[in-house]
Amino acid sequence: MTLQQRIKEVMTSNLMLDVAADDIGDDSPLFGPGGIGLDSVDALQLVVALDKNFGLKIADQSKARDILQTVNSIAAAIEAKG
Amino acid sequence: MKGGLRMLAIVLTRFPRSVPALMPLSSSRSILVTGANGVLGHAIASCFLAREPESRVFLGVRNHRERADELAARHPGRAFVIELEVTSAEAWAGAVRRIGEHDSPFSVLINNAGFHDDALLATMSADQWSSVIATNLHSVFLGCQAALTSMMSHRFGRIVNITSLSALHSPAGQTNYAAAKAGVIGLTQSLSKETARMGITVNAIAPAHIEGALPSHWTEEQRKAVQKQIPMRRFARPEEIAATVFFLASADASYITGATLKMDGGLV
Repeated sequence: MTLQQRIKEVMTSNLMLDVAADDIGDDSPLFGPGGIGLDSVDALQLVVALDKNFGLKIADQSKARDILQTVNSIAAAIEAKG
Repeated sequence: MKGGLRMLAIVLTRFPRSVPALMPLSSSRSILVTGANGVLGHAIASCFLAREPESRVFLGVRNHRERADELAARHPGRAFVIELEVTSAEAWAGAVRRIGEHDSPFSVLINNAGFHDDALLATMSADQWSSVIATNLHSVFLGCQAALTSMMSHRFGRIVNITSLSALHSPAGQTNYAAAKAGVIGLTQSLSKETARMGITVNAIAPAHIEGALPSHWTEEQRKAVQKQIPMRRFARPEEIAATVFFLASADASYITGATLKMDGGLV
């Protein structure tokens, strides 16, 4: 399973999404218009889930905006942390 | 997560969510009761210890701890006294770390600590105002924030905030206390909406006067006069409040959130 697929599985199991993991594009915006419709509460849950599942710690609000843009941006952050 | 979580102010389009499967109640969990040395805190802790034999109860205390120590001695390995200054974020972080050393998930927080320092507003000192606000309201903010990390990680939690009938029916001399406790109700309602889809319920209980915790300056005549105004003609027993706290933390209350239960014997 690729990292992107694992991220999508974590998202669908933690966020009660109406979309299936396979329907989330790697570069689809997660928030905002045209995205899959996550809101601020989802963002909070996602931050917790990424820490729990991948050890990715996001404590800074501005960094969160960049990291949580797409599945690929989350994957890049996970790979960058080592 | 170190440093706790900060609410991410990302405003987005909201889509309908599917209904989650009911979260099973863990048979073993960690429960923190603040103000555990007081009459009500002691009753709440005792209730959990009696009804949940597999859970651990952490007794948050500050200056006085005799009753809490005695309760911990009677329940070795299940009840633990934690020194907790509820107005300190560092103290809350330490308490969560201490609870995290045990394998039961920290999933129940009872924000019970509080005190009142009554005065007419015209003569109330700034310290009387701020100390009551800090101990009764700011503490609830700190406690909820500290507990949410664990609860969100486990996608389950029960927060019960002890407010007061004074928040709903405020007597003279309690502008500070009534404001703080009314704030607790608002916090409860708002937070409940933030955590609802995370499997975390947030509710409040508003007791009136409680036996064993009546104002110490009351004379016998004053006590009888107040008691006579209550339709049930008696004050609340601590174990009655404790039983309601236990209910709100139980699986039976899984669809109750954002509620404030008034417990006043019919007074208001």
